[in-house]
Amino acid sequence: MTYPDPDDPAHPARPSVRPFLQSGPLAAGGYRPAPQDEQPPAPEQSAALRPFVITSGRTNGADPDIGMETQVTVTPGAGPVRLSPEMRAIVGLCFEPVSVAEISARLRLHLGVTRILVGDLRAAGQLDVHVLDNETPDPETIMRVIRGLRAIT
Amino acid sequence: MDYEQSPDRVVGTAAVGSGGPPKKAPVPVKIIVAGGFGVGKTTTVGAISEISPLTTEAEMTSAAVGIDNPGLGSTKTTTTIAMDFGVLTIDQTLKLYIFGTPGQTRFAFMWDDLIKGALGALVVVDTNRIDDCYPAVDYFERAGLPFVVGVNTFNGQMSYSLDEVRWALAIREDVPVLAFDARFRGSVRDALLVVLDQALDKAVRQKSSYS
Repeated sequence: MTYPDPDDPAHPARPSVRPFLQSGPLAAGGYRPAPQDEQPPAPEQSAALRPFVITSGRTNGADPDIGMETQVTVTPGAGPVRLSPEMRAIVGLCFEPVSVAEISARLRLHLGVTRILVGDLRAAGQLDVHVLDNETPDPETIMRVIRGLRAIT
Repeated sequence: MDYEQSPDRVVGTAAVGSGGPPKKAPVPVKIIVAGGFGVGKTTTVGAISEISPLTTEAEMTSAAVGIDNPGLGSTKTTTTIAMDFGVLTIDQTLKLYIFGTPGQTRFAFMWDDLIKGALGALVVVDTNRIDDCYPAVDYFERAGLPFVVGVNTFNGQMSYSLDEVRWALAIREDVPVLAFDARFRGSVRDALLVVLDQALDKAVRQKSSYS
């Protein structure tokens, strides 16, 4: 089985590629909710690169500000746009603040793919990405975490 | 494809505004739990997390291939690794994330991303396989990330004393080495509190050096 190479100018990646890629049992990303999906995909399958078809082949270019724990919410009053199924699914999760890692886990999207798509949705004005002003946590915040942890039993 | 959608959530951007503004996003902070396979990282994360640990998959991309040399004759160019993480809501505006990451060198490609903004790390050690965590200890030391070595006492006994572990890891005197049991929430909490203590120390030192 051959797939069109997204980098090949003769065969530009088209959205129509996606339904085909996601129809198989080992389809990229794997959104199947069934619990038997818990087992990891068979390692001999060369499916490892396929998730990046969703990002049109981009593996780099994720915003370094978007970390695994970065909180994401839908942009209030964002205009309607046509989104891919993966992007729609991401937006659907973000009505409550949610972290990039949780999006990745719940949609079974690879982390790198999730970061790129979240960045795209932010650029499209669909999502607010709450990047922290100060990268290193201040003592007050750490004290709050300590108090919070001490309180649990 | 069917995405799970609770009925009160209307997808379709036109309806979003009517549902009131989204809740203010909490500030996320994170602690890293590192260690070799089977030392109890996931157990540690699960013991403290308020949700059952979630798994996210990351791709070892071509950029990382040089780090993890698959050896001559290998056709394997990519590897998928899984990372477990958990969440603990401190209050409405503060959430603690606990990320578990394998401690071997071949996973180091994602540590740069992972330690960005992290409070500190708990390195989980199995005394039977101490060398599994060398790379993580080495990395955190170089990165200046506060860390604590936690010996997981699976069965209530350790093959080596904490002093012997400290000697084997060749870590500085000010890095705490402690024993904990990954199965018990209180034990994990206490270990994390030691990590936070180190983090607080560093944050206070940094703050006073600025002013």
